[in-house]
Amino acid sequence: MSKQKVNLESEPEAALFRPIYETGKGYYIVIGIFIAIFLWAAFMYFNQIRFGLGVTGMNQTITWGFYIVNFVFFIGISHAGTLISAILRLSKAEWRRPITRMAEVITAIVLAIGGLHPILDLGRPDRMLYLVEAGRLQSPLLWDVTSITAYFTASTVYLYVPMIPDIARLRDQGGKLKWLYSFLSWGWTGTEHQKKVLNKAINILMVMVIPIAISVHTVISYIFSMTLQPGWHSTIFGPYFVVGAIFSGIAALLIVMIAFRKVFHLENYLKEIHFKYLGTLLLIMSIIWFYFTFSEYLTGIFAAEPHEMHIILYKFTGPFAIFFWGMVLCNFIIPVIILSFNKFKTITGVLISSITVVIGMWLERFIIVVPSLANPRMELPMGIYIPTITEWALLAGGISVFILGFMVFAKIFPLISVWEIEEGRKQGLKEVEERIHSYLPGTP
Amino acid sequence: MSKWRMVIDLDKCTGCGSCMAACKMENNIPIVDSKEANEGGVLNWMDVITQYHGDYPNIEVDRLPKPCFQCDHPPCTKVCPVRATYLNPDGLVAQIYHRCIGCRYCMTACPYTSKVFNWYEPKWLDGPYKCFNPDVSIRMTGVVEKCSFCSHRLMKVKEDAALEDRPILDGEYEPACAEICPADAIYFGDAENKNSEVYKLSRSYRASRVMDDLGLEPKVYYLSKRS
Amino acid sequence: MEIKRRDFLKLFGGFSGALLLGGCGLDEVLEVPASWVNKVKNGPKIETWKNTICGLCSGGCGIQVRLIDGLPVHIKGNPNYPVNQGGMCPLGINALHHLYNPDRIQIPMKRVGNPLTGKWEPISWEDAFKIISQRLIKLRRQNITHQLVILGSGERGVMKELISRFASAYGSPNYYQFSSLPNDVVPYLLVHGQSQIPSYDFLNAKIILSFGSNFLEEGFSPIYYTKLYSHHREQQTRYIQIEPRMSLTAANADSWVPIRPGTYGALALGLAYVLIREELYNEDFVTKYTFGFEDWIDKESKKHIGFRNYVLENYYPEKVSEITGVSSELILELGRELGNTPRALVLGGGGALDNTNGTFSMMAIQSLNGLLGNYERKGGIYFIDEPPYSKLPPVIEDSIAKNGNKKEPHAKPQDISFPLTNFSIESFTKNILRDNPYPIDTLFLFRGNPLFHSINHHEFVDALKKTPFIVSFDSFINETNEYAHLILPVNTFLEDWNESSNIPSVGFSHIGIQQPVVEPLFSTRSMGDIFIDLAKQIGGTVSDSFPFENYKQVIEHKLLGVYNSGRGAIASKGVKKMWLEYLQQRGWQISRYSSYEEFWDQLLKDGGWWNPIREEKRLNEIFKTPSGKFEFYSQKLKNSLDTLLKNQKENDSTHNLESILSRLNITARGDAVYLPHHEIVPYEGEKPFYFTTFQVLPNRDGKGANLPLMQEMFGYSVRSYWRSWVEINPINAEEYGIKDGDWIWIESSINRIKVQAKVIPAIMPNVIAIPFGLGHTSYGRYAKGYGVNPNSIMHNLYDYLSGKPALDGTKVKISLAS
Ligand SMILES: Nc1nc2c(c(=O)[nH]1)N[C@H]1C(S)=C(S)[C@@H](COP(=O)(O)OP(=O)(O)OC[C@H]3O[C@@H](n4cnc5c(=O)[nH]c(N)nc54)[C@H](O)[C@@H]3O)O[C@H]1N2
Ligand SMILES: Nc1nc2c(c(=O)[nH]1)N[C@H]1C(S)=C(S)[C@@H](COP(=O)(O)OP(=O)(O)OC[C@H]3O[C@@H](n4cnc5c(=O)[nH]c(N)nc54)[C@H](O)[C@@H]3O)O[C@H]1N2
Ligand code: SF4
Ligand code: SF4
Ligand code: SF4
Ligand code: SF4
Ligand code: SF4
Ligand SMILES: [Mo]
Repeated sequence: MSKQKVNLESEPEAALFRPIYETGKGYYIVIGIFIAIFLWAAFMYFNQIRFGLGVTGMNQTITWGFYIVNFVFFIGISHAGTLISAILRLSKAEWRRPITRMAEVITAIVLAIGGLHPILDLGRPDRMLYLVEAGRLQSPLLWDVTSITAYFTASTVYLYVPMIPDIARLRDQGGKLKWLYSFLSWGWTGTEHQKKVLNKAINILMVMVIPIAISVHTVISYIFSMTLQPGWHSTIFGPYFVVGAIFSGIAALLIVMIAFRKVFHLENYLKEIHFKYLGTLLLIMSIIWFYFTFSEYLTGIFAAEPHEMHIILYKFTGPFAIFFWGMVLCNFIIPVIILSFNKFKTITGVLISSITVVIGMWLERFIIVVPSLANPRMELPMGIYIPTITEWALLAGGISVFILGFMVFAKIFPLISVWEIEEGRKQGLKEVEERIHSYLPGTP
Repeated sequence: MSKWRMVIDLDKCTGCGSCMAACKMENNIPIVDSKEANEGGVLNWMDVITQYHGDYPNIEVDRLPKPCFQCDHPPCTKVCPVRATYLNPDGLVAQIYHRCIGCRYCMTACPYTSKVFNWYEPKWLDGPYKCFNPDVSIRMTGVVEKCSFCSHRLMKVKEDAALEDRPILDGEYEPACAEICPADAIYFGDAENKNSEVYKLSRSYRASRVMDDLGLEPKVYYLSKRS
Repeated sequence: MEIKRRDFLKLFGGFSGALLLGGCGLDEVLEVPASWVNKVKNGPKIETWKNTICGLCSGGCGIQVRLIDGLPVHIKGNPNYPVNQGGMCPLGINALHHLYNPDRIQIPMKRVGNPLTGKWEPISWEDAFKIISQRLIKLRRQNITHQLVILGSGERGVMKELISRFASAYGSPNYYQFSSLPNDVVPYLLVHGQSQIPSYDFLNAKIILSFGSNFLEEGFSPIYYTKLYSHHREQQTRYIQIEPRMSLTAANADSWVPIRPGTYGALALGLAYVLIREELYNEDFVTKYTFGFEDWIDKESKKHIGFRNYVLENYYPEKVSEITGVSSELILELGRELGNTPRALVLGGGGALDNTNGTFSMMAIQSLNGLLGNYERKGGIYFIDEPPYSKLPPVIEDSIAKNGNKKEPHAKPQDISFPLTNFSIESFTKNILRDNPYPIDTLFLFRGNPLFHSINHHEFVDALKKTPFIVSFDSFINETNEYAHLILPVNTFLEDWNESSNIPSVGFSHIGIQQPVVEPLFSTRSMGDIFIDLAKQIGGTVSDSFPFENYKQVIEHKLLGVYNSGRGAIASKGVKKMWLEYLQQRGWQISRYSSYEEFWDQLLKDGGWWNPIREEKRLNEIFKTPSGKFEFYSQKLKNSLDTLLKNQKENDSTHNLESILSRLNITARGDAVYLPHHEIVPYEGEKPFYFTTFQVLPNRDGKGANLPLMQEMFGYSVRSYWRSWVEINPINAEEYGIKDGDWIWIESSINRIKVQAKVIPAIMPNVIAIPFGLGHTSYGRYAKGYGVNPNSIMHNLYDYLSGKPALDGTKVKISLAS
């Protein structure tokens, strides 16, 4: 157990700063484990570079596997963040205050991980710069590169800007990393002018980040839907992917929140109500997700174009059926049952449904990417795809980077926006009152 | 401009696989070991697909020799982020191995599953003698390749014709698979030339193209009484 | 990215990458002649083409080899060569990997220590020759030259003549081949009286009914037949294939008739029944040119039943249907179709022959041709002429040689088995093990891999171990020559002279000239030259019998006759149509060359000679049987069994015809023995599955196994690479809970093998089929350890009469391997 001597006595939100200064043994163990996993993944990747992509389970028909699935999945998760926080901010939902930061961190970390996946998937990562040198803007892959870069930039800025006041506070509290905090706080002293500028910046960013976020996942869906492959060539893929992204994003956010609440004893900040609200949101998303899924498959089944039908049947009854029905169970049946009843909508209930949703959404990505490739239009003997240890390692590596990222972030910055909480305490009540007043009939 | 077309007569094709072997040898295509092959890593530019229809004993066997269809409107080139695959001025879909970043997007975009990827460092016969065809560059690990309609042969033929200041003759440019086919099932030529065999055959009542409805205008026609 | 110099070079000149590696001072330099490195480094890329003949199977395809600066880089079919007309099979296309194979034997080697565990020590050619010639001279001194035994493989034509010549000049009656054409032709000998495989006029036939002859894949020249087949498609010839597994030929046929293995003869006789009963046979031919059709009375006034009544009594459709599993309706239909279509051809082979009853089955199949009068007529069967070769000067035999040649052939069965042959791989093995009729001293293994290809592996190994001295002439180390004491590395066909004439069953006489397209890559020698030089070293009359400097001279000498005859033409561009017309107008004599040298040069340039014009033969000239007719009742068979009986009686009074027949496992009695009939194969009743094998084009009989590309292509049709598989019908698969891709055990009473199942409907229920050719335990890095050898679980059974291995004679059980 290491403790820095920082006086937090006068700090009303001491609980939020404590994780930064106090580090338990458990922390090192956990971080050690995840670093080990990460190193293992790095080693496996190194092998992949050395021997070629043959070390994966992909083959001549199923040319995309885990990496692309994980790419879509991680980018989807990343929507937790910025998009949700922006929407919540924009709608001035008061209960957002303890949530937004975490959501934004998820975005930044996961986006970085997700964005790296296509590179893991490249046969010649050494030639990546050709994307710049010889990039063809007509290729949906380049749209992705562009929009992910934009999203990453926007969301890190969007994460960073609201952090400035808190960083300044860390700077002022003394302790480790002072140089970093000084640098990052950009001379924040909390003047009215600074506050105004900050608010304006946040407002601009949150408006900007929403279309970017939507575009990202739309564009990712375009990778698939722009091809002629049955099961991919669908017009609703754009919104379907966005919905799926938000859906999985919320679930991931909930898992993270519940985990940190437990680990850092944030029960005071993350209350039952947050989970109730977010749980409801998850329920709504689950239903919307189901609606999209239903539309997607119903149109396919009804028109019954042979190739399309072939794939649908393959998903329903073939070797991938277990994944397909697993997905329906995880994404719809379980969350709807749990979240529709207040009785089950406890934190545990929400946690369970969030975990199933994350798994279910991963399965959804898998069920979109692989079966279409396993059943090409040419009636080739079906390919099989069995991911290898390398791919599992890299998935584990991705997850551990996510956890490590969070753990490191939590050691440096408060996971809950301190100043926003304070602001909430000071002004929130009044503002809300005013706002409610303005909605109500009969008031000027 | 020439319109190169291939016509494969399925009523003549026996499924002997010679076209596969000839293509492999002609184009310096890597050979994969047992493990990789059985995991689906074989690189065939030309693939003879076998399918059984019906129940014993009334069985029909379909054999479909499948090169790249060299679509006139190739969906594979559209998606390439670095223009490592493109429709060249001869109307053939070409690969630039040295630029390909190995994203395999073109493979997923090809509805005919014509492209293959070098999953490992390519291997050929062991030993100092590799017997490469010097006209065809060899590929490296991590890039996509596919049937080129033996475009190196076209290059040669074009040079010859230019030197002699004459048009390319019918049958002068012939890919390795068409040349070797023991059943004479593969025809190749310029459909612009109304006297060419391919022009006539491609308009035969037996002619059809695979998934013509996709509108990709494949350059390969199949002749079959059945379809 | 930086392109390494090596990559760069690789890209810009195929070869140069690999060769320059040598140039850069790495190990490989040792294996690459320095002159080549130079050529590749500095020389201009000069392209040349050379014509030769593919030597990877009996098919005899003409090929063109592309050379860049003298190095072969590509092979394609010779479009002007009449046999294959530009077509090739995958194996031939891959022949450069045979030439450049890293596992080639590069220098003579002597074994030190025990077989398999011992070491191979390189020795010089001089020493090797010395060892062999000293040994052979010693045998001559001791007057036991017959103790030299030569076991060849598929050599034909001049090479075969050369080796026979060596054997007789030296004084050994023991030159054999495995697999042996004399075994294959026994049924033809019985019905036609000729040991020649006939040709079939596919081009003009309207129906081709094949009993198990998978000619598109396994025929003597698959490419020749593929050409004809594709022509059929334009002609709408109806093609019917009878066999339990849908082979490539069946898959391309208009109709596939699955039949229970080992019952081909019965079906043929069922069809004969329909032809006879409905009087659809060729009455004119049958009365004039056949023997034994009607009941007859012999010189001793004994009454004999004729083929007609024998068939009508015994092979009515219901019964045949029960035996064969082919419905009686179909039998009627096929029989009528055959009888009602003018120009219906019948042929047999493969599974019909590869069984204990093969000879009788083939006789039954040929009897259909007899009934239809399919000889020397359009769309029928004919025998082609030998090329007008010059004769070699007669062999000079001294007393030693004469004495040796008079000895009984060593491989001749010593009991009463296989009465129609002097060789069977089975008697060959047994006689060595029993030193009967005499011990052998030296065995020459001339190419081939009989250990891998035969079915009695254990005894064959014992025989090899027992043989005092074995010399193998081969390009690779394989299962068989692992047991040799000395291996002489011979050139591959691309480095060697040879000729390839009159491929059995090809429809015209032809000669292909196989010439070296490249200097030997290693310290290997021409096979023909080795024999000539050995003869020279032995000296005396043996040497005198070989008044040639080298094998090329022998071929030149043989071709002189062709030149002098003025017949035929060199297979050059445009000759096909024009030549035929020209010949027809002018008769036979044509000489377009001013000298033999000019003829020879042109021959080398174009690659071959052929003569499509055949002298019509009269029907009473072609049958060389005792009756001079097509024999339904085989007097030859009768005579040889009578002789056997006579010989036996002298030795042992208990022997009579009855016991001879039962020793030969012939169940028929009376006249039926000599008539085409169905013999029941002694299958093990309690095993549920018939076990059959087939050969795929990329591998043929195992030769492709040391070529990585052919291994990769091995099962391209079922997507199985570098490994064996077993084909099984979905009905059986369901019964045993087997799914496509499961591994299963196949178990006979001999042994068991584990193979991956391919569940496909194209095989008869209760029959399983494995491709032959994999499962090597030697034969180089690409062959060793891949797949299984189905021969290793086969019962040691042979055709009772011809001694041909009964490759379809085994039944097995299967079980899921977990
Ligand atoms: N793909 C491939 N082809 C091969 C070989 C190989 O390994 N692979 N091996 C060669 C060898 S060693 C042999 S012994 C032969 C055996 O070729 P298979 O057909 O397997 O021979 P068998 O089973 O011995 O049957 C021989 C009889 O079948 C009939 N037959 C076989 N082939 C033809 C043919 O092409 N035309 C006609 N009209 N009749 C035919 C003849 O009547 C002949 O007497 O095959 C040769 N061809
Ligand atoms: N189950 C089953 N068994 C069979 C058959 C079958 O169809 N099924 N077929 C039978 C028949 S028909 C036959 S003929 C036999 C085949 O029996 P073989 O005649 O023994 O077989 P090959 O493939 O001709 O011989 C193979 C060997 O020849 C040598 N060789 C190959 N190429 C060259 C070369 O260019 N130069 C030299 N010097 N040596 C070379 C190699 O060492 C190789 O091991 O198998 C028989 N066995
Ligand atoms: S070479 Fe000709 S006959 Fe053989 S599989 Fe190819 S197209 Fe068919
Ligand atoms: S067949 Fe496939 S690879 Fe070939 S041009 Fe068309 S889309 Fe591209
Ligand atoms: S794999 Fe290569 S050719 Fe194909 S899309 Fe990617 S960069 Fe282009
Ligand atoms: S055209 Fe050339 S590259 Fe294409 S399949 Fe045929 S041989 Fe191969
Ligand atoms: S059939 Fe194949 S292996 Fe045999 S000679 Fe012809 S090309 Fe060569
Ligand atoms: Mo053979």
